[in-house]
Amino acid sequence: MQSDNTDFLRFVFILFKAMQKDNLGYVYRGRFTQEITDNILALTENKLEKEEQSSKIKKRVYSILVECLQNITRHQNDIKDDLPDNNGLFVIQKHDDKYFITTGNMVMNNNIDYIKKLIETINSLEKEDLKNYYKIVLEGGSLSSKGGAGLGLIDMARKSGNKLHYHFSRINKDSSFFYLHTIPSLEGIEGSLEHKEESLNNIINIHNTLNKENILLVSNGPFNQESLMILLGSLEGQMKGTISHKKKVFYIVVEMLQNIVKHGYTLDSSHNSVPGVFIIGENKGLYTIITGNYVDINKTKALKKKLENVNSLSMEKLDEYFNKCLFNFESDSSKKAGLGIIDLRIKSGNPLSYSFIKTAQDSVFFSLQTVITTV
Amino acid sequence: MTETLIIEAKEDTPKIVFDPANRLFQISASSLPENAIGFYEPVIKWLNDYSVNPIDLTVFDFSFEYFNTASAKQIAKILLILENIAKEHEVVINWHYKKEDSDMLSSGSRFSKLIDLNFNFVGY
Repeated sequence: MQSDNTDFLRFVFILFKAMQKDNLGYVYRGRFTQEITDNILALTENKLEKEEQSSKIKKRVYSILVECLQNITRHQNDIKDDLPDNNGLFVIQKHDDKYFITTGNMVMNNNIDYIKKLIETINSLEKEDLKNYYKIVLEGGSLSSKGGAGLGLIDMARKSGNKLHYHFSRINKDSSFFYLHTIPSLEGIEGSLEHKEESLNNIINIHNTLNKENILLVSNGPFNQESLMILLGSLEGQMKGTISHKKKVFYIVVEMLQNIVKHGYTLDSSHNSVPGVFIIGENKGLYTIITGNYVDINKTKALKKKLENVNSLSMEKLDEYFNKCLFNFESDSSKKAGLGIIDLRIKSGNPLSYSFIKTAQDSVFFSLQTVITTV
Repeated sequence: MTETLIIEAKEDTPKIVFDPANRLFQISASSLPENAIGFYEPVIKWLNDYSVNPIDLTVFDFSFEYFNTASAKQIAKILLILENIAKEHEVVINWHYKKEDSDMLSSGSRFSKLIDLNFNFVGY
C-alpha cells in the first residue's frame, strides 16, 4: 500500500472544505436502525443543549428531527434490498443561527410524482389550511400504502414553520434518491431561497463523495476532549461486528481523535478546540478511519519522517520502538507525537496512509487513514 | 501509614482506590484524559510517598476498561514505582481484562515483559 497517498486522500480535504462552507456538523449515511436513530437523537440533543439558548428552538429542532428520522426508517424498506446503494442519509448543520436538517432515502421512480405533488400542495398551504389538510389526510388515510407518508411530511412542514425543499437524483430506471431539506424556525422567517438551493446542492455533492468512498459517518469539528467523548458515545451503536473488533476500532478512534485535539493547528487560538474532520467508512466489516486537520508547517517534516519510519518497520521492530517510547519520560511534557502513531500501526495491523496538502503560508492540511483488519 | 487516596471515576478518567489499611490498591474504568500527566500526578506522588514505608504485601489491581497511549506512559511510571517497592517487599500485580478484549491482555503482557514484577492475568 502506498503511504503518502495524496491523491487518494485529497477527497478528505475537499470534504472538509465543503462541510466548513456550510457549517455541516454531522453526516450519517447508512441503514437506519432504532439504535442508530437513538444515537443521532442523543448526539443532536447534546449539541443543542450546548449551543442553543432558546428552549423553544431546541424543542422544535428536536421534534422535527424525530419526524425526519422516522421518515427514513419507515421508507427504507420500500426498496428491494438487491440494490447495492440503499443507504439513508442524515445531515444536520447550523448556519446563521438557523438549523438545517436534510434527510435522504431511496424512492421508486413511480412514486416521485405523488411525492412531488404532495410537497407542492403542502408548500402552497398557509398555516391554518395545513392544519385542516392534516386532518383530512389523517381521516382519509388512503393516500399512502404506508399510512404515514403524507402525514409525516405535513407534520414536518407544520413543525418547521417553513416550506419543504426537495430534490430527486435519478439512480436508474427504477429508483431515485430523495433529498428533503427542512429549516426549523421560530417565526417562519426564511433565509434566502438561493442559499437553500446552494446548501442542498452542496449536500448532494458531499453525498456523492460519501457514496463513492463508502463513508458512513462524517463529523466536522471543532474538536476538543468534550466533543470527542460525545462522538465516542455515539459510535458504539453505529458499529457492527464482534466485541473485540468494536473495541479495536474504539482504541484507534480515540488515538486518532486525540491526535487532532493535541496536535491540530488552529489559526484562531481564542478557542480551545481545533478544526478538523473525522470520517468512518465501512466495507464488508473492514473499517477505515480518517482524520483531517491542519498542522503547523514547521512540524510536517518530523511528522512525515515518523510516519515513514513506522510504516517501514516490521511488527517486531515496531514493538521494540513502542517499548522504547513507553519508557521515555523525557518527551512527556512536550507536545511531540509520542506513542499514538506507533500504536495505530500496531493495533490496525496495516500501514498508515497519509497526505499533506499545503493550504496557507504556515499551515498544511494533514490527513491520516487507518484501515482496521478484522481479526 | 500513608493516608488513603480515593478518586472517583469520570467519563474519561479512572477510579483510584489506594487504601493500605484495607490492603486495597485499585485502578479501574477508563483512562483517556486529554492531560494524562496532570491526572496521574497526584496518583504518582501518593505512590512515591507510599513506597517509603509500604505494607508487607501490596496487591495491585488494574482493571481498565480502556486506556489511551498517553495513559500507558503514566501506567509505566506507576509500575516502575511498584518494581522499586518489590525490591524489599512483596508486590503482586493483578491485571484484569475482558476476555474479548485481546488488546487489553497484550498491553498487560507487554508491561509484564518489561518490568520485573509478579503479574497475574485475570480474564473476566
